[in-house]
Amino acid sequence: MSTVEISHISKSFGALKAVDDVSFEVEKGEIFGLLGPNGAGKTTAIRVLLDIFKPDHGSVSIMGGPMTEAKKDRIGYMPEERGMYQDIPLERCLVYLGTLKGLAPMDARIRISEYLERFDLASSRHKKVKELSKGMQQKAQLITTLIHNPELVIIDEPFSGLDPINTQMVKDLLCEQRDKGVTILMSTHQMHQVEELCDRIVLIDLGRTVLYGGLNEIRKQFSGHALVVGTSDELPTIPGVEQVERHNSSSYRLTLAPSTNSQDVLRMLVERGIRIDQFEIAAPTLDEIFIRVVQKDDQEQGERL
Amino acid sequence: MTKFWRVAWHEYSRHVFRKRFLFALLSMPLFLALMVMLVILVIWMDSNPTPIGYIDHSALLANPLPQPAVKWPMRTVPMLPYTDESVAKADLQAGKIQTYYILPEDYLESGQVEEFYIKEPKGIAIEQFTSFLSTNLLVNQPKDIAKRILDGTQLIIRSSDNKRESSQERLVNIILPFISGILFIIAMSTSSGYLMQAVVEEKENRTMEIMVTSVSPGQLMSGKILADIAVGITQIVVWSLFIALILIFGRDFIPFLSGFTFSGSMILILIAVMVPAFIMICGLMAAVGATVTEASEGQQIMGLFTIPIWIPYILIATFLQNPNSPLAIALSFFPLTAPMTVAMRVGFTNIPNWQVITSIVILVLSAVGSIWLAGRAFRLGMLRYGQRLHWKEIFSHQRA
Repeated sequence: MSTVEISHISKSFGALKAVDDVSFEVEKGEIFGLLGPNGAGKTTAIRVLLDIFKPDHGSVSIMGGPMTEAKKDRIGYMPEERGMYQDIPLERCLVYLGTLKGLAPMDARIRISEYLERFDLASSRHKKVKELSKGMQQKAQLITTLIHNPELVIIDEPFSGLDPINTQMVKDLLCEQRDKGVTILMSTHQMHQVEELCDRIVLIDLGRTVLYGGLNEIRKQFSGHALVVGTSDELPTIPGVEQVERHNSSSYRLTLAPSTNSQDVLRMLVERGIRIDQFEIAAPTLDEIFIRVVQKDDQEQGERL
Repeated sequence: MTKFWRVAWHEYSRHVFRKRFLFALLSMPLFLALMVMLVILVIWMDSNPTPIGYIDHSALLANPLPQPAVKWPMRTVPMLPYTDESVAKADLQAGKIQTYYILPEDYLESGQVEEFYIKEPKGIAIEQFTSFLSTNLLVNQPKDIAKRILDGTQLIIRSSDNKRESSQERLVNIILPFISGILFIIAMSTSSGYLMQAVVEEKENRTMEIMVTSVSPGQLMSGKILADIAVGITQIVVWSLFIALILIFGRDFIPFLSGFTFSGSMILILIAVMVPAFIMICGLMAAVGATVTEASEGQQIMGLFTIPIWIPYILIATFLQNPNSPLAIALSFFPLTAPMTVAMRVGFTNIPNWQVITSIVILVLSAVGSIWLAGRAFRLGMLRYGQRLHWKEIFSHQRA
């Protein structure tokens, strides 16, 4: 049973169709990427999933059924628009939000102390939230998301506003949560983070699902029939290679004829005495896939209109 | 402790333990205390203790009794007998006495006295001399008759059912419900204003999204409303304690307060009207908070609700003349004007029971309606950042 099952949900605000027939599932213990350009409908989909908005059509099953008040305590949510009470001390704010997730005040205090130490916020516990920097507030928000040991974490743009050190810390934390069996649904624009962390993704554009599946399968699907060969030598003409172009200063991208096998190309390069530093299937980056899919989809939508 | 209580306690504590709330809470009683102190000071200063002289040719004051003791802060004015007017005149010019009176030989027949002063003495001093004369005029009368005459007349107007009475001395009993009503409405307006502000703030600082994924909108809203009612009650209780202290201690010193009597039925009517009114206003303020995008915009809309609340105050003269007029009755049945109208009428008249009950029923229904409205506005408008929720959307069939 999937932790989250979203089936054909649609949600409109007046004339605007924010989400249009979106479906996806998030499996237990995986990090799932919810991707899409700005205004694609990601946040609306998350709000429908969390029962903040009722869908016009379709259904949502979360941890085996519809959202209930009890399930809210098993979910950690970090919205894109970070929200904390600005006028109260950090610790008091965290304890309050922790108790609203079902923790006893004493337990909340103990866990918050641990997290404050870990996130290097212990010295700021008595400061008002508004006195903290954006990055510190971001970390505090992450504490409210994880403080009650949720089974499902829904996290929107977890790395925005963080420096490289804190980004790494958050990544480690997310991996640690996944290793504990926590299911994570992550929405972000930072594709290299998705490539590093996510097992599967869904890409939404203009409210619709345009790509869905395992990250490796998707990359394979978009890889085409090409190789990246790293060498400092000049490449000779190789039978079965249709096009050779510079990939970067030390490598080439070779587009193969449909009948050519990559092993044959490797053998021929070795036979011709080419010194090979790198030899790999030219899989596109997620960034490239994202741009390609979204541009194609926008073009199709434009033609349809 | 359920989440509802956690929300309520959080809301209550973050308002009540703020400096600005404590300042607002204590400023009213301190203002009242200051007013009482000023009244006391004025009385004390008005009662000039410089002696009053008299020259008695009528033999009435041959062996005079002193005038009855006066209550603090009034000061007793000594009465100095003179036999020679030139000495009295010299003392008056020297400031040793503030005035002197000459009682002629035929005073008992004519009742006329002559008064001499440089600066006209204050009423309190004259009253003491009058009291001094009256005491000595009544010296041969039985004590109870003398006391009755000295007390003077007191007109008491009593309602036909004997439940209520009014007199000059008991004017405070007419004004008190009116004052209580005003204080209740001030408390209600400020604390419901806090509620509106809290809802707008949660939208502005984006806490709302976290909140609604932790507690149900119903728990959140009702927790907030309960907290803000508790904030209002805290204000009312503290203010009532101060007023009670002023009434208890002040009635010994301030004649205006001396006729104060406690009326349970009046308090019951006020509570029965004000509590649903309070919930109604809280609901409306929460609805406003959910629809607007900025606190300043909310303040402006708040005015639409608070102005009607104060309309009866403008009509006080009309209500005083005819507290059972059709206008007064109509305003008792309109939810926003009912609290102040009933508070005023309950002091001025005996409101028929059916009118009190109708008013309470209308207010209870309005309270329920405003909570529904708040819940719906909240559900639809809680995540509208930078975009106002229109009232027609609240009443539309949109799924909330």
